[in-house]
Amino acid sequence: MAYKKSPQAFKASINAVTIGTGDSAVTLGGENVMPLYTFDAPIEHRPAVGIAVSDTGIRTDLPKLDEFYEGATTLLDRAQKAAQLKEADFLSIVLDAADPNGDNRSVEDCVAEVKAIADAVDKPLVIEGCKNVEKDTELFSKVAEALQGKNVLLLSAREENYKTVGASTVMAYQQKMGAESADDINLAKQLNVLITQLGVDPGSVVMNVGTAAAGYGFEYVVSTMDRVKSAALEQNDGMLQMPIVTPVASEAWTVKESLVSGDDIPEWGDVEERGIQMEVTTAAACLASGSNAVILMHPESVKTISAFVADLM
Amino acid sequence: MDKFVVIGERIHCISPTIRKAMEERDPEPILKRAKEQIDAGATYLDVNIGPAESDGEELMKWAVQLIQGEFDNIPLSLDTANRKAIEAGISVYNRSKGKPIVNSADAGDRIENVDLAAANDAIIIALCSKSGVPADNDERMMYCQELLERGMGLGMEPDDMLFDPLFLVIKGMQDKQPDILEFIKMLTDMGFKSTGGLSNCSNGMPKEVRPIMDSAMIAMAMQQGLTSAIVNPCDKRMMETIKSCDVIRGANLYADSYLQL
Repeated sequence: MAYKKSPQAFKASINAVTIGTGDSAVTLGGENVMPLYTFDAPIEHRPAVGIAVSDTGIRTDLPKLDEFYEGATTLLDRAQKAAQLKEADFLSIVLDAADPNGDNRSVEDCVAEVKAIADAVDKPLVIEGCKNVEKDTELFSKVAEALQGKNVLLLSAREENYKTVGASTVMAYQQKMGAESADDINLAKQLNVLITQLGVDPGSVVMNVGTAAAGYGFEYVVSTMDRVKSAALEQNDGMLQMPIVTPVASEAWTVKESLVSGDDIPEWGDVEERGIQMEVTTAAACLASGSNAVILMHPESVKTISAFVADLM
Repeated sequence: MDKFVVIGERIHCISPTIRKAMEERDPEPILKRAKEQIDAGATYLDVNIGPAESDGEELMKWAVQLIQGEFDNIPLSLDTANRKAIEAGISVYNRSKGKPIVNSADAGDRIENVDLAAANDAIIIALCSKSGVPADNDERMMYCQELLERGMGLGMEPDDMLFDPLFLVIKGMQDKQPDILEFIKMLTDMGFKSTGGLSNCSNGMPKEVRPIMDSAMIAMAMQQGLTSAIVNPCDKRMMETIKSCDVIRGANLYADSYLQL
């Protein structure tokens, strides 16, 4: 009997959420098929790739990275260099230095710097916080105000601060917000319910459902994203139809495979190559599992994943 | 797995308020009941205009346009013995949120309502009975097959047929209850969708007992695979039971606020 192809396109779809403005704006989500399943139905908005720059500087033991950012001494310089990378769909500013347990940079300084970047670069912006809930709440609120009209994504609100973040970013300044949970499907849904109940338009919300570096419990990431997408598409669950944005860099570059120098373990080879492989492998796995966007640190990873996506679409 | 479908039963001309509103074409009481049911979680609303022999066509058109116009084309179940009224209702019905349901056909006098549904690309509620209460499940299954053959012969998809096992009142027909549950399982095993006027089971019981009995019955029926029911969505205990059962059987992903969704 001849093979009969029966496309599995769903009536439900993932919300399409746009960040940035004008020609450089990028839209995440919108698909009505399982991740990357272009053979079931066209995916209008291909998964996006972001490049992250942190305000704590760059690692000095990675020659290719150093070369890419050569001459860039400030966060603004680095952001401008990163934004020039044509394979990057958006730029993510990571405000690590705001952490009260670290450099504890003031909110004012952070906001001023982010504002300068927003004025200087054309790409859509994602602002990642320092993971300190109180500081991030304040940062997101002030950044949302300072960047009015830029349509930026604040990544992310958590169970502890979703109210303030939702009210002060999306509702007050029409920015986009992320909802963060850590490999917990029930909490992922619950956060979206709570954010929506505040009055935030579901179309302004993306999810960061958590990730892990490949090999570090990634099967939990797969099962979480898988369940989220099947609820969103098969069961038309409006509380899980937000696109998924996954910051891969912070996981992929903090495991020993990406940290230990080749001098210490010669048989492992060059640390930069290893780190890039870790980042690329994790990012590809996230995209295959359901991420609508990944955020990467190394320009080589960005290029590789961008080519990977282009080849699949 | 699809979520359980609640067909709200409260727009019914047996209610004096609704009957009066229908007679006088007064939108307010009807819209109020529609809103209450939608807010409570109804997927479909049943619109029962009674026999409506004289002005059924015009009345059904009015009701369909009134309710769909006000509530974003919520899908409706058109409930009357007047076939022309159902056709008239379908002629003005907006399908963007779901096909209309024809309520209902049986294997007896009302079998032609299957034809009506088939001709109008509608869903049919197919009562597995002919005249009176079926004696046993063999008889129910025979009527089910008759209705199925009729529908499929006219090109209907089996998914557009909601088979009704006929819920029976517990007070007086207690011994029949296991049969009904077993029949639902038979329908489920054959891959058919099902529905029914579930609250009939608690007819005649004290007011405070009915929601408890209805909730128990719906939980047991859902376990057997019942896919929808014509019920009062404003019965909070029942809706909580349905939502909880949907979580347990995996039709809805759990979140702490699941009862509010």
